[in-house]
Amino acid sequence: MKRLRFYLALWAAKLSIIALKITRHNGTNFPGIVALKICPDFLWQVKKPARVIGITGTNGKTTVCNLAIDMFKADGIAVLNNSLGSNIHTGLATSFVLGTGIFGGLKYDTAVLEMDERSAPLTFPAIKPDWLLINNLTRDSIMRNGHPEYIARILTEEMPSATKLLLNGDDLIASSIAPDNERKYFGIKSLDTDVTDCINLVNDLRICPRCSSLLKYTQRRYHHIGKAYCPTCGFKSPQCDYEGQNADLEQMTIEIAERDGSVFCYRLLNDSVFNIYNVVAIVALFRELCYSRERIAELLQKIEIVKSRFDVKELGDFRIIKQMSKDRNSLGTSRAFDYVSGRPGDKELILMMNNLSDSRHWSENVCWLYDADFEFLNRENIKNIVVTGPRAKDYYLRLKMAGIDDSRISFAEHELDAPGKLKLAGKTDIYILYGTDSITLCNQVAARIENEIRERGERA
Amino acid sequence: MKIEVLFPEICNLYGDLANVRYLKACLPEAEIVETSLKDEPLFARERPDLIYMGTTTERGQLLAIEALRPYREMLEAAIEEGVNFLLTGNAGEIFAREIVEEGEKVADGLCLLDFSARRKARKRYNSLYLGEFIPPEGASAAGENAAGENAAGASGSEPLKIVGFKTVFGFGYGDLADQALFTTERGYAMNPDVKYEGIRRGNLFFTYIIGPFLILNPPFTRWFIAHVLGKTGTELAYEEAAMDAYLTRLKEYSDPNTGFTY
Repeated sequence: MKRLRFYLALWAAKLSIIALKITRHNGTNFPGIVALKICPDFLWQVKKPARVIGITGTNGKTTVCNLAIDMFKADGIAVLNNSLGSNIHTGLATSFVLGTGIFGGLKYDTAVLEMDERSAPLTFPAIKPDWLLINNLTRDSIMRNGHPEYIARILTEEMPSATKLLLNGDDLIASSIAPDNERKYFGIKSLDTDVTDCINLVNDLRICPRCSSLLKYTQRRYHHIGKAYCPTCGFKSPQCDYEGQNADLEQMTIEIAERDGSVFCYRLLNDSVFNIYNVVAIVALFRELCYSRERIAELLQKIEIVKSRFDVKELGDFRIIKQMSKDRNSLGTSRAFDYVSGRPGDKELILMMNNLSDSRHWSENVCWLYDADFEFLNRENIKNIVVTGPRAKDYYLRLKMAGIDDSRISFAEHELDAPGKLKLAGKTDIYILYGTDSITLCNQVAARIENEIRERGERA
Repeated sequence: MKIEVLFPEICNLYGDLANVRYLKACLPEAEIVETSLKDEPLFARERPDLIYMGTTTERGQLLAIEALRPYREMLEAAIEEGVNFLLTGNAGEIFAREIVEEGEKVADGLCLLDFSARRKARKRYNSLYLGEFIPPEGASAAGENAAGENAAGASGSEPLKIVGFKTVFGFGYGDLADQALFTTERGYAMNPDVKYEGIRRGNLFFTYIIGPFLILNPPFTRWFIAHVLGKTGTELAYEEAAMDAYLTRLKEYSDPNTGFTY
């Protein structure tokens, strides 16, 4: 009876995929919802590949997951994945529906699954990854995720005991998860941009987890990411098994040292610190999967970071840069601000990280704006910041709090009107900072910027 | 003027510390004194003009309770003497009788506020908040600004509308109606059975509302600075922008079509 219910769920979910296609609906979660509705233990019953790799964490898990999928693809291996769906249990169920034949046979030997950290209680009992990569744990949605310590507690309580962990050793919150599980650490030895004092508003690990004394950071990338020790009790960051060093941002390479003392050089895919970590994480993962260093280096030559998160288009004197900046996520936003403000040349910004879904149903909780480092935008070469969308007035107030003068702030009630507020004076990079649910709107805004540039060019 | 910020290394979630930054922007002469867990608090040596504590983690609550327990009697005396406190988010639970999780006591609080904090381990209660603050007799409603107008642009002592966000693991239970800080119109109150939110004991103000509460509520902030901190006629920082955002939010929250719980 149990098995019959499983097959009914599988077939109904597969039919729903056909129905969605016929009716031209997107519904990436829907087949999984159908499957779980009919068979609540669908994820338990469905066959799993021999090798399941999970990727979780607060920021960058989608990027790391996509990179891992692309690495396998470049190696000629198709993997079951949820890159087209969501990373919660319904999205995972959808992926398994797609990856399973009508008689329940599995089409893949390997799965690479992005797993939402908050959904661990729903996913880990059913899907037990052989490897789980956790790239960081930082502040995220206040409403859903609370704070990183809360998420670390959930992950620790739910972690399958046999899962091997691949942890960011430079994140003392992530690296503390499930201490009884087998683990390896990756990290970065040092970067030219390292500091010791925190320049961010948020630092979620200021005290020693053992004795509560103030920690000292010997290297700090940002927020609590870096290497620290406790002067009172001797607690310190773990020694990394895979450690990046000598990052060369001109040649776009990084050396990665391993525990046995070997050092090998790999290609970097992007010069942001976030993405340097992502490459180190990928190398660590594939080394643990027994790939040779040379093969990993070869595969890294063949892949790129997905463009939906960072995309550049040149148009005469202007570059239009779409930069995802996760809404409701202060740390992700701070990283984006830091990256953008640190780029050379004059810039104009459109801030449209409003959570559109929240705006439709209630009203976005804007507390996160006060954890995000808007102060990074108070730089001379940022000539104009257009605030727009449902929370534009909140952004304006926050920018004022960051000390930014009115002459450098413009206001557009609707996102599509924001391009009209650009100054477009001389060679300028125009950044559109957009949230996770405004990808389509971002593309529309980018198109309008192109028109604006052309029209003003013709008028001149 | 000295503002003591208790344990900013742990009591710093959800943008709460922006309240301190805003007070500093409004009162540039104020000295901000940050007290770490292992420091002797400023209030043990002298009377600060304001003691502030913001939201922390569940572990942070336990650490803060233990750090303050040796000073419990001093805190009691300070409250009785009318020293000003502002506690936001779950900081007030540190001052409560007890903290209970899933029916089991996690910690004895400092017993300075007569309520029990009861929470779930994995349940988040999220809501927008709309309420009202009624200034005590004799205090003008919004605290007058430099132009002699109150923040809402009205005169007299009308109640002040309060807007904000509540995102909590649980609620506070106790017979506290006579110490209520705000009257709730929409959103979660102190607990689902009552309409009041927050506690005022003397000059100790506690609200479960999280985040940049003072920035989001310029009328209340003006009243607070004038009548609690005693700085009448203070012009709020970024007043126009803050009022514009406040009035927009107030309109949104007063709209019956706006969903309130998440």
